Amino acid sequence: MSEPLLEVQDLKVTFPERGRQVRAVDGVSYCVYPGQTLAVVGESGSGKTVSCRAVMGLLPLAAVVTGSASFAGTQLIGLTDDQMRAHRGADVAMVFQDPTRSLNPTMRIGSQIAEAVRAHQRVSKTQARQRAVALLRLVRMPLPERRCSEYPHQLSGGMRQRVMIAIALACRPKLLIADEATTALDVTTQAQIMELLLELQTELGMALMLISHDLGLAASYADEVIVMYAGRIVEQAPAARLFSRVRMPYTQALLEAIPQLERPAHSPLPVIGGRPPDLSALPAGCSFAPRCRHAAEDCRATEPPLAEHEPGHRWACWHPVNGEHHD
Amino acid sequence: MAASLPDLLVTAETARTRPPRARATAGWARALRLWVPAGFLILLAAACFLWPQIYPVPKPVGGSVLNAGLPPLSPGHIFGTDPVGNDVFSRILYGGQVSFEVGFAVTAIGLLVGGLLGMTAGYWGGAADAVISRVLDVLIAFPALVLALAIAEGLGPSEIHVIWALCVFSIPATGRIARSATLALREQTFMLAARLSGTRGPRILLRHVLPNVVPQLMTFALLGFGVVIILEGALSYLGLGIPLPEASWGSMIAQGQQALTASPDLVLIPSAFLFATVMSLNLVGDALRERWGVR
Amino acid sequence: MAVAEGLRPGARTEFARRALGSPTFRLAGRRVLAAIAVLWGVTFLTYVVMNLLPGDTAQLLLGANATPAEIHQLSIELHLNEPFWVRYGNWLGGVFHGSLGASLQNGENVTTILGARLPVTAELLLYAFVVSLVLAVGLAVLVARWPNGIMDRLSLVVSMLGLSVAPYVLALVLVYLFAVKVQWFPALGYTSLSTNPVENIKSLTLPAISIGLPLFAVYTRLLRADIVEQLQREDYIVTARAKGMRPWRIVLRHALPNSMFGLITLVALNLGTLIGAAVIIEPIFSLPGVGDILVQSISDHDVPVVEGIVVVFAVVVVVANLLADILYAVLDPRIRYGRVAS
Repeated sequence: MSEPLLEVQDLKVTFPERGRQVRAVDGVSYCVYPGQTLAVVGESGSGKTVSCRAVMGLLPLAAVVTGSASFAGTQLIGLTDDQMRAHRGADVAMVFQDPTRSLNPTMRIGSQIAEAVRAHQRVSKTQARQRAVALLRLVRMPLPERRCSEYPHQLSGGMRQRVMIAIALACRPKLLIADEATTALDVTTQAQIMELLLELQTELGMALMLISHDLGLAASYADEVIVMYAGRIVEQAPAARLFSRVRMPYTQALLEAIPQLERPAHSPLPVIGGRPPDLSALPAGCSFAPRCRHAAEDCRATEPPLAEHEPGHRWACWHPVNGEHHD
Repeated sequence: MAASLPDLLVTAETARTRPPRARATAGWARALRLWVPAGFLILLAAACFLWPQIYPVPKPVGGSVLNAGLPPLSPGHIFGTDPVGNDVFSRILYGGQVSFEVGFAVTAIGLLVGGLLGMTAGYWGGAADAVISRVLDVLIAFPALVLALAIAEGLGPSEIHVIWALCVFSIPATGRIARSATLALREQTFMLAARLSGTRGPRILLRHVLPNVVPQLMTFALLGFGVVIILEGALSYLGLGIPLPEASWGSMIAQGQQALTASPDLVLIPSAFLFATVMSLNLVGDALRERWGVR
Repeated sequence: MAVAEGLRPGARTEFARRALGSPTFRLAGRRVLAAIAVLWGVTFLTYVVMNLLPGDTAQLLLGANATPAEIHQLSIELHLNEPFWVRYGNWLGGVFHGSLGASLQNGENVTTILGARLPVTAELLLYAFVVSLVLAVGLAVLVARWPNGIMDRLSLVVSMLGLSVAPYVLALVLVYLFAVKVQWFPALGYTSLSTNPVENIKSLTLPAISIGLPLFAVYTRLLRADIVEQLQREDYIVTARAKGMRPWRIVLRHALPNSMFGLITLVALNLGTLIGAAVIIEPIFSLPGVGDILVQSISDHDVPVVEGIVVVFAVVVVVANLLADILYAVLDPRIRYGRVAS
């Protein structure tokens, strides 16, 4: 195993809200290796987005971030905004969910990409412009020169997302975080963008982090999968392993909730009962216990630790299921 | 109630840049920001209207010239007397009555008439909107000023005429706000749902548009109240408002202007009250806007 | 047009037809027509109002001692006997011939009067407007960079103060402080630009501050709130941060341009206030501008003068609103290009 590119240890993020402390991320540790594709899966409120934004220092100032996130040896947590800026875009880049809102509506595409280039490299405007065209070509955008003078609203959703990727790749980052990058797109475009990301990853030798609530996405494209719930990691394994031998009841429930073609017609879709937990008032034991089919007394009493019970496969559960699940 | 994380990233709280420690006092400071100016306004209004009834003060008019020009803190005249001999303190109180009456009347009429016109124009669109908007545009373009001056001048100075004259400003202004607020609401899905469920127009206006437009209108009205008070002062200052010798803060300022170098307090005292009142109205408007989340 | 010249004759008409039919042209055309309608409405309304003023104009002009014969004589001279429509028609006709009529008060050509007085008012209002706008933008950008910092709180206090003060009160206080106590500025009077530029600026400074401070307060508050809102709520700002852009560049290049829309709307809306302020401020400082004579003209029932002033200001307001619309289109490519998903 080579050296990890990004090493996160015991990352915690809390937000003050109306006098209470909301524990958005509650002690998360993982590693990302160069060239690896890591998927972080969870429902809304699981902390997946917040933890990645914490690594990039993109959280509001009121957020309190503790723990460690070491990128190629440099500690990222605790850096000032100025210091962090050197890494943003150059080492770690992010692609966001809604390309419509994530692009400046009054600025041309070419300028927005060129800006990303000039943020870290001392190049002339013309050179930056040429880079922008090259980047658009890299993301397989037809007619890249013409696109450069256009505005975001003149492009379709899929194309806007390609522009976002071009912006993210402007300075050849070693790690690209795709935060729900395909959620706002239709299914066909989703597949196209995902294929693009994987191709680029191979071409550029990047590590890729896929953040999503879509387990199917993780299954199709990731090497390693992390499942988060209520701010903590509840299961982690290589993709194939996770889906064939799922252990955590939560993960199993997620898998069962995916509609399957093989199921009998009109049969009710299995859902996970209950609601996501209140992050400012987490229960004492396992956070998933209130909604878990297999919950027992010890689950409610003590929080199960995340441990590597089988090689390469970690989970946090007192009563894991022996899930043989076939994709 | 679980706060979903995308919301968390941009709540008003997290948008602040103060360290978390200061959170505890913030709610307290917020309450102060509303109740200190509101309290001042209530006290001032109460003083203006009730004090003369309860506690005898010298008459605001008909003072003796022998008493003229007394400085503040003279015995029996805490704010002194004006060049004609009237007691400044009681003129402040009675002038305050005028300011509050005119401000309230003009703002209320503006809200009712302007609000109704604006909501109608915004909701129904089409011909009604075109006509109403054009009329409001015309009024806003300029003659509002000429109109107000002409009304005040033509009808003769009096409190009622001042109210009419100032409605020329408040109705179009409120109408504009109501119209744009209604237009913004119309796009929202719950409005479509209401229409599809067969609710009739006026009912939609009442049950759906009105409650959502009210916060914006109210905060605007509070700011407008201050503007009206200033305008009433301006009209009185020009001699077109409340006629002398009746008391009005504006005419007191005009009177005091003549003696500006000699006794600046004749200008400064009514100016201070004018300023404090308008500022309190603005502060209350701001505090309410913060609470109700109006933009 | 240079473009059309290079095309074949058939193509030129085709181009013209398309240009005339294009949505932007039609929109502009509708706006211009509406503007003309508004202008007409304004003059008509003013004429109506002026005529509804009670009191006999001739009598007012001649004073209390005039004999009925003199009054009658003057009425005929000034066409005051003729019906409303005739008088309005005459005036309107005169306008189309470039003449705004003559003052009923002293017979002077209204155009001459306006020509002499408008530059004063124009300079005053421009001074107040430009300075308050420039300072407001500068301050708003500065404080938005460090929200809730010391400068921000200070600016909020200052703008609350500026918002709450009445222009005439401010004028008197300024005169007392800066013209009487320390004689830095003249309390009264006006020196024209051609006579002495420095004195000119000095004579207009206190009046400009009286008008400009409340404006500055309003602009700063709105712009600051807009920029801060952009910085905190908009996704493209997060993208800009993720790119590694410097904070100043983010404020100036991304947040500020997108905040201009609200400011433009506000400026256009406040134009009337600006003009109204001149009416009060000019007499205080004895500036020989248009505001100075407006109140007096209304009392004198001097209809041509009042109409002349109204026309000028209405044109300014209408043109300003049109300019604002153009600015929106310039700043927002979505308006210019429409929605085209290629």
